[in-house]
Amino acid sequence: MVQDSYRELFFSESQEYLTIINKCLLRIETNSGDFEAINEIFRCIHTLKGMSATMGYDKLTQLSHHAEDLLDELRGKRKKVTPEIIDVLFGSVDILERLIDAAKAKKESAVDIVGYVDKIKKIIAQKGEVLVAAPAPKTKGLEFSEAEAAWIKELKAAGLNIIKIRITLVKDCAMKEARAFLLLTNLKMMGEFIKSIPPVEDLKDGNFDLSFVFILAVKENIQAFHNKLSGVAEVEEVFIEPVEIGENVPGAAQPQTTPSYIKKIQSMRITVDRLDKIMNLMGELAIAKIRLVQIVQSLKIKELEEVSFTLEHLTSTLQDEIIQTRLLPAAYILDTFPRMARDLAKKQGKDIDLEILGSEIELDRVVLDDIGDPLVHLIRNAIDHGIEDPEERKKTGKATQGKILIKVSRQKGQIFIEVIDDGRGVNFDEVKRIAIKKGMIIEKETSVLDEKRILDLIAKPGFSTAGKVTDISGRGVGLDVVKTKIEMLGGRLDFETKRGSGSRFILTIPLTLAIIKAMLVRVKNEIFAVPLMNIRETIKIDEDEIKALQSFEVTRVRDEIIPIIRLEKSMGLENPVLDKGLHNERKSVVIIEHGKKALGLVVSQVLGEQDVVVKPLSSIIKKTKGIAGATVLGDGRVALILDTISLV
Amino acid sequence: MAKVLVVDDALFMRKMLSDILKKEGIEICGEAENGKDAINKYQELKPDLVTMDIVMPRVEEIDGIVAVREIIKIDPQAKIIMVSAMGQHSLVVEAIQAGAKDFVTKPFQPSRVVEAINRVLGG
Repeated sequence: MVQDSYRELFFSESQEYLTIINKCLLRIETNSGDFEAINEIFRCIHTLKGMSATMGYDKLTQLSHHAEDLLDELRGKRKKVTPEIIDVLFGSVDILERLIDAAKAKKESAVDIVGYVDKIKKIIAQKGEVLVAAPAPKTKGLEFSEAEAAWIKELKAAGLNIIKIRITLVKDCAMKEARAFLLLTNLKMMGEFIKSIPPVEDLKDGNFDLSFVFILAVKENIQAFHNKLSGVAEVEEVFIEPVEIGENVPGAAQPQTTPSYIKKIQSMRITVDRLDKIMNLMGELAIAKIRLVQIVQSLKIKELEEVSFTLEHLTSTLQDEIIQTRLLPAAYILDTFPRMARDLAKKQGKDIDLEILGSEIELDRVVLDDIGDPLVHLIRNAIDHGIEDPEERKKTGKATQGKILIKVSRQKGQIFIEVIDDGRGVNFDEVKRIAIKKGMIIEKETSVLDEKRILDLIAKPGFSTAGKVTDISGRGVGLDVVKTKIEMLGGRLDFETKRGSGSRFILTIPLTLAIIKAMLVRVKNEIFAVPLMNIRETIKIDEDEIKALQSFEVTRVRDEIIPIIRLEKSMGLENPVLDKGLHNERKSVVIIEHGKKALGLVVSQVLGEQDVVVKPLSSIIKKTKGIAGATVLGDGRVALILDTISLV
Repeated sequence: MAKVLVVDDALFMRKMLSDILKKEGIEICGEAENGKDAINKYQELKPDLVTMDIVMPRVEEIDGIVAVREIIKIDPQAKIIMVSAMGQHSLVVEAIQAGAKDFVTKPFQPSRVVEAINRVLGG
């Protein structure tokens, strides 16, 4: 009965549960009396177990079952939260995660759960300060006390039949103690309950094999009673011993319920695919709208202008709403970080507090997917290179606990994510020394190194100031990967550091990737879109302000010499015959910047700013240097979006 | 046709249970994802039967068992079947004391779920 539609649900929900569990484990680590967190973990593990069992994932079911047992001890206050227990639970969660990943890949996981299951069992078995109730002695045989005998006599006198019911449960009965209790509760409603063998307390605790006996005073005859009991779930056999036969009693009337057809759905899940499709259609709609508005403006018909104005307003509202649906709170990725930081810090004998601010701020799902790894890397860097050992911190007069702050904020269409640590900061001299040694710079240049240049250096592939390669940051991926990834998202990475008091990395990324603000420029008859984020300024220059310098051309902007590219040339649009005589025109130059580098793009005309819908290109064009995508303009023409980063 | 309100915090479980019941021609008149929601929906939808997950997040101090108690208070005739993963028998016992009519365990055996529902509806 397990279908693929359940699989997807299973994976998305189980991931959510693991995140909650990790979060709550951190809470109880700092406050072992946080029973709300313990209950929350218990609930999540319990639910996960049920889901896993339903999917038929045995290992997952087993491990979560044992973890649940341990948590039950904690929440029943039979055990106290100890560092050992927390470590075992963290470890178990890791294994659960790996098992889920393996299941997702439809692979049989080689992950071994026995180790953790044993650890959990051992902890549960530890007596410690725990009080274990001695099992109650089992009563055997059918003996009535004097009081019971008197009571039976009374009941008989009232015309009731005394019966003895022996019930045997099926062998694979799930939760026999609860089943027995349910039967007892049901029987109590059918007659006067006198006693059970074993006693009720033992039944509740499951201190019995598979069968038990109830003594009951009832009005019905045995046959009617037998009919009622057989057919109860998980009951193998019902044996009723006759004592006396009484009259038949009609059954209770069925309760009436009024039908209702009201249904309310507060929220629903939509697949990402569908959201992407809607976004795409929204883009098309936005384009059609721009086109319509342009046509209407030229027609000058008042009624039509009103309608088109309303339409314009509605589409932009709709566009905002759709962008909203694609947003998820940053917490989706940030919530996993405290756990990671804890583990890494512990491994290195460092004490680190990771604080997150602004995790409620929402980002586009695609952006969120892509900034996870870069952020992990920055945090690892901070722990590995930034934060000092407690001893060293003490010596320099800092608190022994290092602090890492992740701050998310939103301004206009941009998201800022800062990773701030109060560690030792970047040692410029060390960076210089290594850069010179690796031939990245020459000695003369070192005097002008500022933070931007330092970042460029440490973000170069192959650069690492760490003396030795550690498990944590020496994985061959460095800041260069972080930088490239962020830039691929149309964002940028900035860096500030102060020797002795820490570093701050600032990621600036667009709110959404699907619609960007761009400057439209005309080059000959073609229109290009330049992402506004990368533009420093646009200027006008005369042809004679362009100077040839070796193989490329440059121009002077204030005190800066900026290389220029003639887009008509690089895009293959020039026509030497027709272009003659145009050289004396004043030229528009769009200056784009990337990091420290700037580049001027010579264009025929700057048309203005506009929101453009980014359409991905097919793989052949994708490889073309300088082109990031395409967009459709209001008049239906296609404009290529320039990839400014690769141009610079 | 019997109308059932399915209460579970996991969407996964709600979907699976609903599918099992729908196959049996049982109408799912509503779903709730916590105890508080369940009480509200019970009053609103007046279902013939409720399946109630036993371990759910507390919303305004209402978990699965409190929800059973509250629903029974509102309608002493309410038919509630508890749904629980293996192992939490003390909670099941508590739920039965609160007035639940039966319980089924996860993983579901569709036949047992249907059997329990039919029996509780029939009695």
